[in-house]
Amino acid sequence: MAAVYKTLSATSGNEKEPGERKNKQRVLILSSRGVTYRHRHLLQDLYSLMPHSRKEAKLDTKTKLYQLNELAELYNCNNVLFFEARKGQDLYAWMSKAPNGPTVKMHLQNLHTMEELNFIGNCLKGSRPVLSFDAQFEKQAHTRLIKELLTQIFGVPKTARKVKPFVDHVMGFTLADGKIWVRVYQINESEPGKKKPVDGEKMDVDSAPKKKGKTDFDVQLVEIGPRFVLTPIVIQESSFGGPIIYENKEFVSPNQIRSDLRRASAGKFNSRTEAARDSKIRRGDLGLLSHGGRKKEKDPLSDSVLFA
Amino acid sequence: MARSKLKSALNNEKGRNFKLERQRRQEKEARKRKEQNKPEGDDESEAEGGVALEEEVKVAPKSNGKAKKEKANGVKATAPAKEAEWETDDSEDEDASDDEEAVPFDLSRLEDSESDVSGDDEEDEEVGETLGAGGEDEDEEDVEDEDEDEDGIAFSDIESLADEDKADIVPYQRLTINNTAALTAALNRIKLPYSKLGFSEHMSLTTDEDVEIADVDDDLNRELAFYKQSLSAVKDARGLLKKEGAPFSRPADYFAEMVKDDEHMGKIKAKLMDEAAGKKASAEARKQRDLKKFGKQVQVAKLQERAKEKRDTLDKISQLKRKRSGADVTATNEEDLFDVALDKSEKPERGRGGEGGNFKRQKKNDKFGFGGKKRYAKSNDAQSSADGKGFSHKKMKGGAAKRPGKARRMNKK
Repeated sequence: MAAVYKTLSATSGNEKEPGERKNKQRVLILSSRGVTYRHRHLLQDLYSLMPHSRKEAKLDTKTKLYQLNELAELYNCNNVLFFEARKGQDLYAWMSKAPNGPTVKMHLQNLHTMEELNFIGNCLKGSRPVLSFDAQFEKQAHTRLIKELLTQIFGVPKTARKVKPFVDHVMGFTLADGKIWVRVYQINESEPGKKKPVDGEKMDVDSAPKKKGKTDFDVQLVEIGPRFVLTPIVIQESSFGGPIIYENKEFVSPNQIRSDLRRASAGKFNSRTEAARDSKIRRGDLGLLSHGGRKKEKDPLSDSVLFA
Repeated sequence: MARSKLKSALNNEKGRNFKLERQRRQEKEARKRKEQNKPEGDDESEAEGGVALEEEVKVAPKSNGKAKKEKANGVKATAPAKEAEWETDDSEDEDASDDEEAVPFDLSRLEDSESDVSGDDEEDEEVGETLGAGGEDEDEEDVEDEDEDEDGIAFSDIESLADEDKADIVPYQRLTINNTAALTAALNRIKLPYSKLGFSEHMSLTTDEDVEIADVDDDLNRELAFYKQSLSAVKDARGLLKKEGAPFSRPADYFAEMVKDDEHMGKIKAKLMDEAAGKKASAEARKQRDLKKFGKQVQVAKLQERAKEKRDTLDKISQLKRKRSGADVTATNEEDLFDVALDKSEKPERGRGGEGGNFKRQKKNDKFGFGGKKRYAKSNDAQSSADGKGFSHKKMKGGAAKRPGKARRMNKK
C-alpha cells in the first residue's frame, strides 16, 4: 500500500531541484548487556517509532564504546543511540553522530514503556513525527547541540526506506528542571461539525473543550507512549571519545544517591553506638563506674586463681 | 575519591604530620647519601642541576594540570572565527578554580621540588638524575596527581566526613566544563542546513515562548504544558505541510501496520473496560451503602412516627370517651372561669382529676387510676367470646397466609 502510494505521489510531480539538499539519517539502536526488560521494551518502542533505525544485538563491552563507530559504519548509520545499563537498574542513553560528531551521554529515568502505560493512542508504524521543542533549548550552547542531535535521531527523514507518507504523531521535547522530558502523542483530527464518537472524546476529556477557531479541523492529541526523562551528563567532542566539552555539575549519579540513602540509614546506628561508648568512657573517667569502665583485673589471690 | 578518602582517613589516624615527617626524613637521608656519593664536592653543579630540574618541574605540572585547557585551545584553533573563551558557570567558579590550581602548584614547588627530586626512594632518584628531564617530568606528574588527590576533596564528598576531619581539608569545587566555543563548533559541524531544507524534510518546530512549568512534581499541570506545546506544534506543522503540499492526515481507507498491534490494543481495551466496570461497580456499591445507611434512619423515623400516631389516636379516643361521659362537668370548671390563659396542657389532667364530680370519686380515681380497674381488662367476657369476627377457618387449618416479604410490608406502610 505504501509503495503504491509512493509511486502515485511520485508521479504527481514533486521532483527535487538538483541543488536542494536531503536530510539523510540512519540510526543504529542498541543496548549494552545487562538491560532489564523495561529497558529492552523501551528500545523496542523507539525502534518501532523510528523506521530509519537499525537494531543491533547487545554490545558486549561497556568500556570500548568506540567500537560503536565501526558498527555504525558497517550498517551505514550516521547516528548511534546506545543504551548502557549499569547495575541492572540505571540506564544511560548515549546519542552520537557516528563518524566524528559529538556525543551526548544522558541519564535516562522515569521510564515508562508503551506496554505498561496503556494509552489508547496509536499511530502508523513508519509515519513521520512532528518534533516539538521547547524554546528553552535555544538558550544555551549545549542544549542547542542536544536539540540538533534529537532532531536528527528522532526525526524520520523523508527518504527513509520504510517510511509512510502521513503525519500522525508528534514527539514533544521539553526542558524542565534541567531535564529533557519526552512525550509521544497521536494526532487525532476530526471535523468540528461531526465529532468522531469513537476515539477522541472518552480519553481526552481535558482537551476536548478547547476548540480552535482558526483551523477548520479540530486537532486533539492522544498520548501513545513511551515516556521518559533525560538528564544530560557529558558531551564529548567526537564520537564516543575525544575531549569533554560539556559536563553537567548538577548531575548526581544514582550511585551517589543510593549510597547517601544507605549512609543516612546506617548513620543512626553508628551515632547511637558511638554515643553509648562515649558516655561509658566519660562515666568511667568521672569515676562513676568501678574500675573506670575497664575490665576488672584478675585478683591473684581470688579463689578461682588459687584453686584452678 | 575513594582513594583520597581512605588516605585522609589514614592520615587522620596517624596524625596529620605524618606526611611532612616522612618527607623530612627522606630529605635527610637523601642529603646524607649525596654527601657520601660525591665527596669531591660538585656542589655548585648539583645545585644548578637542581635548579634546572626545578625549572622543568615548574613547567611540567602546568602542562599536566591544564591539559584540558590546551585541548580546548586546539579546538578553538579548529573553530573558525571564534573568540577563544573558556566559560565556566560563573566567574566565581573560575576564580576559585584558578586559585586552587595555583595554590597547589606553588606549594608543590616549595615543598616537593627538593623532596621529589631526592625522590620517594633512591632508585627513583637515581633514575631521574640519569635520565634527565623526561623521566623527571613523568615522576613529577605522578607526584602532582597524588598531591591533588591528597590535598583536595570535592565539595560533594565533604558531607560524608566527620566534623573533625573537615577542618584540615581544603575543598575544591568540581569544575563545570562548558566549552561554549567547542559546543558551537560541533553544532555547526552537524547542523542541518535548515534554511535550504523545506519544512517537510525535518519537521521540527520550536515553541515561540518557553514552556513554563511551575512545579515539576505537579503531574497534571506538567503534562498539560507538554500537551499544549505539542498541540501548538502540530497546528503549525499542519499549516506548513499543507503549504508545501505534503500529505498530512491519513485517509480513512489507508490501512497499514500500526505501532501498537491489534493484540496490544485489545489488551488496552480490555484494561479500560475492566477499569470502567470496576468504577461502575464501586459506584453502585457506594450507592447501595448510602441507601442502606439512609434507609435505616428512615425506618426508625417511620416507626417512631407510627408509634406517635398510635398514641395520639388513642389519646383522642380516650378523650372523646371521657368527654362523652362527663360533658356537662367540664363546662363548670372553676379555673376556666378565672384564668383562661392558664396552661392548656395541664388542664386536661386536672380536669381528669376533677372530672368525677363528687370528691369521693375523685379520690378513688386518684387512688386506683382513672380508667377504672385494670385487672381482667383483657380477659374475655360473654360478649367477646360470642364474637366470631376474628375467626378464620383458614387459620384454624394451619394454612395461614405467610408473612409477606419485607419489601411488601414496607410498601404497605
